[in-house]
Amino acid sequence: MATREAGKKMIMLKSPDGMEFEVEEAVAMESQTIRKMIEDDCADTAILIPNINSKILSRVIEYCNKHVPTTGATGAAASDTVAPAALAEDLKIWDAEFIKVNRATRFNLIQAASYLNIKGLLDLTSQTTIDTISDNSLEEIRSFLSTKNDYLPEEEQTIRRENQWAFQ
Amino acid sequence: MARQPPRFYPRLLRADSPAAEDPGVPMDMRHGLDPDTLDPYKNMVLNFFYSYLLESPVSTAASLSCTTAEDGDGVDRVSLLPDDLLRRVVSRLPAKDGARTAVLSSRWHHLWRSTPLVLVDTHLLPAACAGARPGRAGAVSRAVTGAVSAALEAHQGNFTFVSLTCSFLERADRGVLARWVQLLATKGVSELVLVNRPWPLPRGVCLPVALFSCASLTRLYLGAWLFPDTATLPRGAAFPNLRELVLGCVMMTDKDLDFVLAASPVLEILAVVGSQTQLHARLASQSLRCAQFCLSTVEEVAVVDAPCLERLFIWCCSSHGLGTARSKTSIRVKIGRAPQLRLLGYLRPGWHVLEVGNTTIKASTQVSPRTIVPSVQMLALSLHFGIRNEVKMLPSFLRCFPNVEVLLIQSEETHEPTGNLRLKFWQENGMIECVRSRLKRIVFREYHGHENEFAFLMFIAENAEVLERMVVELKFGRYAAPEEIAIKMKALQGAKWASGGDKLQLTFSKFPSAWSLSKGSDFSFDDPFLCLCYMPTYFEMRDSSGQFKPLGYL
Repeated sequence: MATREAGKKMIMLKSPDGMEFEVEEAVAMESQTIRKMIEDDCADTAILIPNINSKILSRVIEYCNKHVPTTGATGAAASDTVAPAALAEDLKIWDAEFIKVNRATRFNLIQAASYLNIKGLLDLTSQTTIDTISDNSLEEIRSFLSTKNDYLPEEEQTIRRENQWAFQ
Repeated sequence: MARQPPRFYPRLLRADSPAAEDPGVPMDMRHGLDPDTLDPYKNMVLNFFYSYLLESPVSTAASLSCTTAEDGDGVDRVSLLPDDLLRRVVSRLPAKDGARTAVLSSRWHHLWRSTPLVLVDTHLLPAACAGARPGRAGAVSRAVTGAVSAALEAHQGNFTFVSLTCSFLERADRGVLARWVQLLATKGVSELVLVNRPWPLPRGVCLPVALFSCASLTRLYLGAWLFPDTATLPRGAAFPNLRELVLGCVMMTDKDLDFVLAASPVLEILAVVGSQTQLHARLASQSLRCAQFCLSTVEEVAVVDAPCLERLFIWCCSSHGLGTARSKTSIRVKIGRAPQLRLLGYLRPGWHVLEVGNTTIKASTQVSPRTIVPSVQMLALSLHFGIRNEVKMLPSFLRCFPNVEVLLIQSEETHEPTGNLRLKFWQENGMIECVRSRLKRIVFREYHGHENEFAFLMFIAENAEVLERMVVELKFGRYAAPEEIAIKMKALQGAKWASGGDKLQLTFSKFPSAWSLSKGSDFSFDDPFLCLCYMPTYFEMRDSSGQFKPLGYL
């Protein structure tokens, strides 16, 4: 969680289950949705984030805190001393750790990233799903995604034939 | 071809490369062989081109993982996601994995077909190939060609990115090629890499003229084709959205190049790599910002009218066909209307014939407003300091660019020196405007220890009033007399520096003449000659198997 610092504008985010999160404006503005609300002056007191429970919202804020550009006053020391490449590498490792969550959480995070329009988080959460799909058999993917095969056997055969090149 | 590196392609050839061509195989039959069996020069051109192909926006390497063996509550949360989020997931999958998701369940059936396609044919190779393009035509390459055809047919478009570089298309396969181009055109391809494997040209395959129907193209990389005969094209054929065009080992006529430039009203980047036709490139374009000619046979590069041109690069080009008898003809470089031209190189004094406006620059040419290109700020020159004619032309070349702030001099090894032009030559030669009042930084690459090199550096030290730094890179391990070099450098340090004090910085040459096609075209990168920074990390390139190799050891 962000701590209050002198001169920093803080924003209150509320989850539907009643939790309140005070975050720096710059951090909240990692979300394009919130940025727009702030820019449209709809964010005087607190912003209610519908559909995102406090557990997910706190993770989202954690992500934004880490990814907020460090060019400003916050963390200026870090950007002065660490090469950009090293910083990016560091973030990548952090991301990989961050996304080690269970499936339910990950899908909630995808939805949250989509609603709040946070491109980096959306990319990260989609990529983990992709990495599950790549190079696994259909049965493994179905089992992983809990997808039920609702095709009739002959339907499935037709679709396989249509995409035969992909099964060679 | 001689084993010894030819003079114009310095140190780029691997010294230990095996005698590559099997003399038992007639030239015509080497068509389609493993690039490794090509002669070293062609191999290098091919690798240079491969290493700068567009990078795919999707990758086959799974990089992230998540915990899997838990919460088996059986709820299919992914299928609950809205279409646009699922398409986002599918769009990041390699095409093959994407197409397979259609079989998962009815929820997924139409998703891949309607998600903008990224198709990279190296992703279709069997796992055993590990992404390396097949070395010769065979079952593997034919399977890829077939899969490409099927994927292009099955998908409904648009095609965001299509990279086809594994197929060996012969003249007999023109039907396949024509269908590809038709599908690419009708389904709206934006970024296209289309590289054929037959080699050597000119026994290549001609691209269908229908390529000019791909109106949605923004970036186009073509390799190892005969260019479509533009004379037969209908009026109005054009690339209205094309911003970047890279032609690698493409056989084309001067008229074809004229046509492409005229038909591409927003083209910003043009690069010609490994062209073997004796090209006269006439650059007339209202939009062109960067033009590059690398490893090509070029007789003339003429900037006729290019109001937006910022960068012009000529790297390792010659004016005669390779492998043929060397002729004495020079490359003519004409700078006509190019008011924005800021970065220029490598010009070769005494060997390139430089023409500014309508004046051919000679040693005796007097400076006048009609013989200068005032916009150039960064200039790279390459010459043999042991060859009198080249050194004699150096001041005349420098005078054409009165506002150069950063100067790179690449010193080439001279095998047959033709006399010295020492300090007296420079003193008598009079003032050079850019040296006196503009030059802030000079990088002298590959200092061999020749008298003429030293005389030139002394001239700079004693005349450059606003010089901030002079970097001399000593050619490592080539000195007959290292002590003499040390004495010379001491003398240079102790010279009467016009800028007020010693600005000399000595290093050893870290890399030979090298070039990065992508950095040259990157407008956000202002140091394509590596004059300003000393971290040559990007002088690595990927070879055909995707491995990174330092360019210097190609």
